[in-house]
Order: sequence, then C-alpha cells, then structure tokens
Amino acid sequence: MLRYTLRRIVLLIPVLVGLSLLVFTISHLLPGDPVKLAAGPQATQADIDSLARELGMDKPLPVQYWNYATGLVRGDWGQSVLTRRPVWDDLKVFLPATLELVFAALAFAVIVGIPAGLLSGVYANRWPDYLSRVVSLGAISMPRFFLGLILQLVFAMALGWLPLGGRFPIIDEPPPALTGFLTIDALAAGQFGAFWVALQHLAMPAIAMSLSPLATITRMMRASTIEVLQQDYVLTERALGLSQKLIVFKYVLKNAMTSSLTVIGLYVGWLLGGTVLVETVFDWPGIGLYATKAIVSQDFMPVMGVTLAIGTIFILSNLVVDLLYGLLNPKVRYE
Amino acid sequence: MDRRNLLTVAAAAALGVSLAASAGIAPAAAQARKVLVVASNQDVPNLDPHVATGYSASAFMRNLYDSLVRVEGNPVKVVPHLAQSWTVSPDGMEYTFKLDPGAKFTDGSPVDANAVVYSFQRLLRLNKGNSWMVAGTLDQSSVSAADAQTVKIKLVKPFAAFLQVLPWLWVVNPKEVEANKGADDAQAWLAKNVAGSGAFKLKRYEPGTLYEFEKVAAPWKSGGGNLTGAIWRIIRETSNQRLALQRGEAHIAVDLTAEDMDQLKDKPGVVSIIEPEFRTFSMKMNTEYGPLADINLRKAISYAFNYKAMEESSSYQQLMVGPLPNGIFGHDPNLAVPRMDLDKAKEFLAKSKYPNGGVKLTFVHVSGLEQVRRFGLVLLDSLKKLNIDLDIKAMVWPDMVASTASPDKVADFFTVYQTGNYGDPDNIAFAAYHSSRNGNWQNPVYKSKVVDDLIMKGRAEPDEAKRKEIYLQFQKQVVEDAPDIFGVLEKRKLALRSDVSGLVFTPVASNAIEFFPLSLK
Repeated sequence: MLRYTLRRIVLLIPVLVGLSLLVFTISHLLPGDPVKLAAGPQATQADIDSLARELGMDKPLPVQYWNYATGLVRGDWGQSVLTRRPVWDDLKVFLPATLELVFAALAFAVIVGIPAGLLSGVYANRWPDYLSRVVSLGAISMPRFFLGLILQLVFAMALGWLPLGGRFPIIDEPPPALTGFLTIDALAAGQFGAFWVALQHLAMPAIAMSLSPLATITRMMRASTIEVLQQDYVLTERALGLSQKLIVFKYVLKNAMTSSLTVIGLYVGWLLGGTVLVETVFDWPGIGLYATKAIVSQDFMPVMGVTLAIGTIFILSNLVVDLLYGLLNPKVRYE
Repeated sequence: MDRRNLLTVAAAAALGVSLAASAGIAPAAAQARKVLVVASNQDVPNLDPHVATGYSASAFMRNLYDSLVRVEGNPVKVVPHLAQSWTVSPDGMEYTFKLDPGAKFTDGSPVDANAVVYSFQRLLRLNKGNSWMVAGTLDQSSVSAADAQTVKIKLVKPFAAFLQVLPWLWVVNPKEVEANKGADDAQAWLAKNVAGSGAFKLKRYEPGTLYEFEKVAAPWKSGGGNLTGAIWRIIRETSNQRLALQRGEAHIAVDLTAEDMDQLKDKPGVVSIIEPEFRTFSMKMNTEYGPLADINLRKAISYAFNYKAMEESSSYQQLMVGPLPNGIFGHDPNLAVPRMDLDKAKEFLAKSKYPNGGVKLTFVHVSGLEQVRRFGLVLLDSLKKLNIDLDIKAMVWPDMVASTASPDKVADFFTVYQTGNYGDPDNIAFAAYHSSRNGNWQNPVYKSKVVDDLIMKGRAEPDEAKRKEIYLQFQKQVVEDAPDIFGVLEKRKLALRSDVSGLVFTPVASNAIEFFPLSLK
C-alpha cells in the first residue's frame, strides 16, 4: 500500500506538468494584453515595455514557461500583474477559506446523503423513498446561488438567526491562524465561542454548496443499496435470521458506500472549481472569486496558481478515496 | 431494531446536522466602540501609496497618509493640509509650500520638507500609481527643500491644474521606508505596511475580507469626528451591501446600483446621497478607420440618436452637454450639442459616402455592464431610421483594451466610462481627447491638431478667465469634430446610516471615504 501511495504521488508530477503547460498555453493564446491593462491608462509604450521586462513577460513563451516551472520548484508561484502580490501569499489566504467551505459542504452532503440514500433503498418505492427522491431532485435542480439568496432572506433577514455573510464577525479578532480553517483554529485555541460563531457563518454557504453532491450521493446510495439488498449473501443473512439492523448497517451500508465514495472524490474537484457564485453571495473570501477576477483580467499567474492548487488537491483527494476503498472492502488490493 | 426504529435514527441523524445553528447573532458591536464600517466591493491588495490605484486605494491613502493639500466641498476647493499655505509665481511655474510645523508621522518624527522631497522623488522614480498626474510636469530635481518647513516645486512645463493633482500625491516617512528599502525601493514592504502621517493606522489586514483602521493616539490634525476606528469591509454583491446597511452591519455603502437606491427609499435609519459627479459615459466613434471616419456619417448618427431614451433608460443620471462633465470649471452648459433631429440627421447622411445607409456597424461594451448594453439597444433603434445596422458585442475588459492598439482593431463604437481623478477640465480633456493618448482606451483614435493645441494652452494658462475661454473653444471644436456621442453623467449613489454625521459630499473621489471628519452617534 505504501508503494502504491508513493507511486501515485510520483505520478502527480507529470500530470501537473501537463496541466500547467495546458493552462499556460491557453492563457497566453487569449487576445488581451494584461501588461497594458496593468500599466494603466496613462502609460506610454515605454512604460508598458518596462513593466513587461520587470515581470519577465517580454521573453519568448517557452522561456517564460521554463522560468515559471523552475520558480515553482523553488517555491515561487509568480506574481500577479495587477496587484503585484506574490501568488503564493494570496493562495495561503484564499485557499483555506474555500477548502473549509468545500469540506463542510461535503461533510453535510455525506452525513445527510448517506442515511437518506440508505433509507430510500431500504424503503424503496414507499414514502421515505418518495420523499428523498423528491427532495434530491429538487436539490439538484435548484441553482446554488439562488438557494443561497433564499437562505439569506429567511435565516439572516427574516429570522435573524444566522449572519448574512463573511467568515467571522468583522469587529472581533479571529482565532490565531494555524490551519486557516477558522473552525479548526478556534478549537485548537480552545475558543469554543469563536468555534460556534465560525460554524454559524459556515452554515448557510456550506448548505448551499452541498445541494448538488447531497442529491447525487443520495441517488447513488439508493441505487447501490437496492442492488446490494438483492445480493445472495443478503438473502443468506436473512435466511440465517440476522436482524435487519445488523444486515443494513454491517453488510449493506459498507458495500453500498463504495460507489458513493467515488462520487465524493470527484465532487472535491467539482466543488473547488465552482465556488464562485456561493462565495459572491456570502462574501466568502475564497479562491473562486480570486480566480474569477484573475481570469477576467487575464492575470496569468494567479490563474496558473489556482489551477495547479486545485489540480493537486483533486488528485490527492482521489488518491485518498482510492485508499479508502480498501478500508471498506478488504478484497481491494493495491498493486 | 425494526424498520420504524431505523427510520427514526436516520431521520434524526439527517435533521440533527441540518440546522444546529439557531442562536441569535448579535449585530456587530461596532457602534458602541465608534468604529465606522464601510461596505465596498473593491479590495486593496497593495498599500504602497506610490503604486496603488483605484478608488479604494484612494480611500486608504486619504486615511493613512497625507498630502500637501486636500480637496473638499462642492464645488471642489483645494484647502491646506500638510502645507499650511502656499504661493505661486506669476508665471505659474514655481510653487512654494509652507509646511505645518505640527505635522508628524505616526512614529513621532516630523513631516518636514525633506520627507516631501523624498516622496516626490520616489513617486517619479517608480513611475507607477498616480505618477502619471505629474509626468512631464515634474522631474527628479523639481522638488527641493528651501528649509525644514519650506518646499519649493519648480514645474518643468506649465500645468494650471497642478494644485488639483497634489491631493493624490502622498508623503511617506523616509526613515521607515529607507529602513525597509530592500532591492525594490521598499515596494514589497510598503505593499503591506504603512509609513504615513494620517490620522489612522492599519490594525488588521485581511485581503479579500476586511481592513481595520485604528485612530492614532494623538493625530497632528485638530478637530475631526469621534471615530476610534473604521473597517473597510469587502462585500461584493451590491444587494448584500444594501442588506448590510439595512441591518446596521455597515454604516456606509459605496457601490450601490440604481435598483438598490430605489429599494432603500423610505427605509428607516438610512440616508441616501445622490449627486452628480465627474464620471462620464461616452460612445467613442472610430474617426480613423471604417465608415465612421466619415464626419458626415458621424454627425448624422449624432443627430439620429435618441438621447431622451438614453436618459430615461436609467434613473440617477443626466445627459452630458459636450465633452466635459457638467459643473466642472470651464464647462459650457449652453453649448450647442446634437440632440435628436431626424431631418438634420438625414441631411448629414445625404452628404456622407453612405447616403442610403446600408452599413453595419459594431458597438462594443464591457461584458456584464447591463446599462451600457441598454444604451446600445437605444443606438440600434435610432440607427434603424438611417437604415444602418448595429452589432452589439460584449467583450472582457482586457480584450477591449488590447483592441485599442491600432485604429483597424477598434470597433466603430467604443464605449467607455471615465472618472475624473481630479476636479479640473484638464483631466478629461487631456485623457479623452489629446492625440498623445491614441492607442489607449481613454482615446483610442481621435486626433485633431486644433484640439491638441487648445488642451495644451488650457494646461499652461495661469489666468482663470483666459483659461475658461480656452475650454469654451475646446468644447465647441470637439462638438464640431463629432468624435463621440456624448452620453450621460452618472450620479454618485451613496447610502449611509442616519447616525453617521460629518460627511460632506465632494464630486471628486466621493466614494473614497475620509474617516477623520466623521462621527457616529
């Protein structure tokens, strides 16, 4: 298993090289001129040329790519043309916020979706199943930003239970930064009040984000539960007189979860790449907004940085999922 | 466990997590601590006063740094700031500023003439940020210290609007900057740190989320409001800015749309400020390439355009009268500008190379700017009467900027908003109509020797009456050349809580809120 993990991690390198090459090429083929834009409306051609020189963007494309790639090895992720800030500094700020949101959304989707799908399967074509199918169909059909707005109107404006947006009350000092996940940092610092407040801020955006994976997980779980329930070994277990509880939780649940696990792995990447609407509605200072702004202004370095960061996390999360298969199903062998 | 139990357990698990949070959220305690919260959608990723640009950067610099003079009031007045007083030589080429002896940086060191000289030299050396305002007017040896409290500035070229640009050129603390100079003239250090003399200092720096300011213990300026601090909070959606204002989570919202202002009408505790500002919208025509190089066709279109429909397509705007913003020094409110007159339009069309129309023109706008798309639809409708077709295209801003590189790439109608950076006609006149700006989004193609000369004369003339006369001629000439469809002046839309006092509207950078004079009840 260790060798398998190491091999997968080594395989990450050619994937990332290919990814960076692809994004680099596409972003440089676009017709805009980010240096001219960054130099400002009053800049003369000499100013634009000097800025291009300063940013190394006057060199041929292969040289620019080589400089970028060797910079990455040294830990230099380049600099934004527009803000002149190092990309790594920005990623350190924005990535944890998005990861916290994505993991919270996934956790919610798993905690609600797995039991809901299991119920649906066990009670197939009866009212719990109908209810779960209607809810999941509704969930997958509703745009995330729209649900976000409705949640805001109900829970923030009408009831006043939850904050309108942001990660933490602006007037208070956030817990000392350790992981960048406010909930975890608050717990690590023993600030339970801050943890509760951070959780309240996280609730609405995470629920809005979780809808699509929640619905998919529920549907997948339902289908595989029905399939597993029809297996011979379940029939045997029933014939042996095992209780429903034992059959469902010990045998059906574990076997049915394998397919949901695959979906969860895929959703990590999907959610990471699609946070911008929820981040906009809830003022969540995450990577989606950062990337969108960079894409619109053709600021290459942040776009490259975000793509590589999301690519790496996506590949790693799928590796974790592959390793988890083994825990659920001892028949899986890593070779 | 039977099926019923299983159902109960699963449902409880699902519901248990779904809404655990139900405790009330107390509104921010900002009010009691006299901390003003400003909601803005613009981040300030770089704090270097000689590099950063944008309205939010102007707001930050206004509060963290000081300049020789500042602007206030409506109409705009230049008033003393770091400089207590100043004199100008009769030819307008030499300025002498007497500094306030009480002015000091936040580290306690005095703001003396050397600091001013150092700051101007750094600004010109970096050639970034607001340095364009004095490019060609000042060089490295222009600013000198006559004594510790006296700064002399000798202009390289005459520039009548010099005092108007000074409020945006900031003075840094040479001691701190030198101590952190590094290899990049302290750019990396000043991007995140402050070395100023402003009444506020930066307490918290969280890019993308908020920036917290704290009032310095003993600001060198006297007076001011009762604020102990302020928070610049990034709220990207304007509707969320509005909701935050309604809930009292923000005291001032600076990016509201016309729809937000409509919704805020009669809301308790909210005050709206809707004032004309020097922000122009015009449709620049390609005077150099394609059908619109024909002046008669341009004039035909200028007379065919339905200005009334444009004005009515949105509230909170007023039609421009000529190339300069209404209300600015030298603006002629009685200028004879084209208004919809189809007979005249057809007269000009008959004189053009396209007497029967039959051409297809392109109109580009920044994607997402719905209001400009609506203006495009008004134009499309107007041009139908001349048998001219219009293709309305949305483009991302970098592509629009890139298209200005040469006239053959510029669309027939290039739409642009321009915000006055300083309250002088030279600002818009030079940026939007001087031929040296060709190849640039503010003036992609239009060039006229007569207009260039008038702009340069207006720049150099120290006598106000003569200067006004020059700008009157300038406006007439530009209207005669018909390079633009002169559009609308967008009104500034600010909303604040009624417990904020001390805010006086100024039509220059009014969204760059200055905290010092403000108070909270």
